[in-house]
Amino acid sequence: MNDKRHDRGDVDLDRYFALARQAPPDISGVERNFETRVMARIREGREPWYALAWRLAPIFLALTILLAGWSLSYPPVHPADPVTMLTSGTQEVALLDNLTGE
Amino acid sequence: MAVPDEDADLVRSAIGGDDDAFAELVRRHKGTVLRSAARFARNPAELEDLGQETFLRVYRDLRSFRGDAPFGHWLSRITVHVCYDALRKRRREEKDVSLEVLAAPVADPSTGNGPSAQLARMILDQAMSRLKPEDRLVITLFELEDRSVREVAELTGWSETRVKVRAFRARQALKRLIGGDDER
Repeated sequence: MNDKRHDRGDVDLDRYFALARQAPPDISGVERNFETRVMARIREGREPWYALAWRLAPIFLALTILLAGWSLSYPPVHPADPVTMLTSGTQEVALLDNLTGE
Repeated sequence: MAVPDEDADLVRSAIGGDDDAFAELVRRHKGTVLRSAARFARNPAELEDLGQETFLRVYRDLRSFRGDAPFGHWLSRITVHVCYDALRKRRREEKDVSLEVLAAPVADPSTGNGPSAQLARMILDQAMSRLKPEDRLVITLFELEDRSVREVAELTGWSETRVKVRAFRARQALKRLIGGDDER
């Protein structure tokens, strides 16, 4: 009795599988332009780097202008140490000081 | 069906940064991937997600494609893994699915009586949603996609014995579910 029930269950299940195989899933709606959407997502995944760079560009520009303005607003300082003078490119000042005895 | 060598060329171009080459790979294989994923998706939106996730993973791992087997085989393995991951994620959500529809009569395909193929699919989908993800994966590949035990083992990375055991358990559970006895 139990075996018969099991046999019947297998037969029924195989019928369901056979029927389900006859009805392949409809993918037409998703398939349409699918590659376009995949490529868009791939590009989207890369975009933050470019987008971030573009978003940061005005900040870098403002920072550059500020630094340029700051450096121009202060006159160059002549160090008293002769070695520092030589390495910082102010030899002429050192030579002049030496000649004038200052 | 795509020529494997052409696929390998496209893969090489895509690795080199050619987006058009990758788009061509997607165009060639989208049908196979979507048909396979549709066995696991509950609706078109989920199918879209599974398909996109598969190709995004392919794109990310493209360099690991060695080319010693056809691109299609490698792609099928990724598809199966993406679907399996999705099944595991949604396992908790589907525990309370209604089984009312399972009372529908069983048809004999030779006579054409009973539920339509669509209804049979729906009934199976509902019953299969109550299986463990491993069992559902194996029974889908084995019974609905008509793959051999060896193929299923290759796709899942499991041993043939494990595949056979899973298929057997899935059948037993489905028989109970469709026969009216809930396994839990």
